[in-house]
Amino acid sequence: MHLNNYLNNKFLQFTAIAALFTLLVNAHAAWEVQPKLGYTLTPLPKPVPAPQFTLADMDEEKHSLEDLRGKVVLLNFWATWCPPCRREMPSMERLYQKLSGENFTVIAINQMEDADHVFAYTGQLDVDPTFTILFDKDSKVSNSFDVKGLPTTYLIDKQGNIRYRAIGGREFDHPEVEKQIMQLMQE
Amino acid sequence: MKIRAIYLLLPLLALSTGLLYNSADAAKITAQKNADSGLYSWVAESEGFSIELIQLIPDFVRAIYMKHDFPQEEVDEIAGYCVFGTIIKNTSDKTLGYDVAEWYYTDKKGNKHSVKTKTQWLEQWRKAGVTFSWTLLPDKGTFYVGDWQQGFTTIKLPRESEFSLTYKWTLDNKAYTDTFEGLRCAPEQLSEQ
Repeated sequence: MHLNNYLNNKFLQFTAIAALFTLLVNAHAAWEVQPKLGYTLTPLPKPVPAPQFTLADMDEEKHSLEDLRGKVVLLNFWATWCPPCRREMPSMERLYQKLSGENFTVIAINQMEDADHVFAYTGQLDVDPTFTILFDKDSKVSNSFDVKGLPTTYLIDKQGNIRYRAIGGREFDHPEVEKQIMQLMQE
Repeated sequence: MKIRAIYLLLPLLALSTGLLYNSADAAKITAQKNADSGLYSWVAESEGFSIELIQLIPDFVRAIYMKHDFPQEEVDEIAGYCVFGTIIKNTSDKTLGYDVAEWYYTDKKGNKHSVKTKTQWLEQWRKAGVTFSWTLLPDKGTFYVGDWQQGFTTIKLPRESEFSLTYKWTLDNKAYTDTFEGLRCAPEQLSEQ
């Protein structure tokens, strides 16, 4: 009887929390409804050397930006709780599938979340990202890039200079973005 | 004597700073009520700058910060503010700049208040041992064409208070200001449907 009460209480608690969560998500649907994603990446007035970093991926393998010298890198700062980050991720994957190879890659740097959480999250996406996801657990790397908000994306040339920047979500597989990347790849 | 001179100069300086800002043509404001929740959102658009404010109820705010392991007192403090989801966009073909420290809100009695900035919140949170820094609207920004950003804006007024928000921005270094009238804080809870 005591156990039954306990289970009933637990069930009621779970039901109440689930109901509250659903209510809150529905109530704040407007916050989740986001502006249409654009495709403009703006060239920086002057190329700036990208700060160097070494971060681990989901398998604890270390990756350094320096090792990517000779490739054009689309470097994206993101988090799972950030609605526009979620929205632009499929276009990043499509772009990666289309252009990755010798001279181009995509790196997504997650902010202050753990690998288990991100792994569970990516499993829920329509398109499972195959590009490299790195973990910036204390936001030191995003600070070094002067990232003020998420998502922020940089396009880095083969010499390791930041050439383009985008604040806010984008459709990265738009032909205009592809054209900008191709130009950098051909330099 | 020197101190008196400063007292005389300060209002002149403040006045001249105000004069440097151009009043934008009246912003086009649209209000929307969410049919399910009854919560409001407003969008104001003028001179290359779009700002959207979305009412958030305190439980939603609490849930966000509890999820990021904030101390209970910090959760309660920010949930005690009137918090808006805020989306700002550069809708021009110029470079846009903004600084939340220059924005202020005016309550129904006509009292003006500074908006608590992300920097001020982060200083407070750092003292409480919090390192998470990503939910609030960044204080300052330089937005190129197509850039936009979102984050929370906090207004220290009671639930359902009406107020206006005066905000400022620059386009290619030309300064603008506008006032977003008819804003209202969210209720404590969602109304019964």
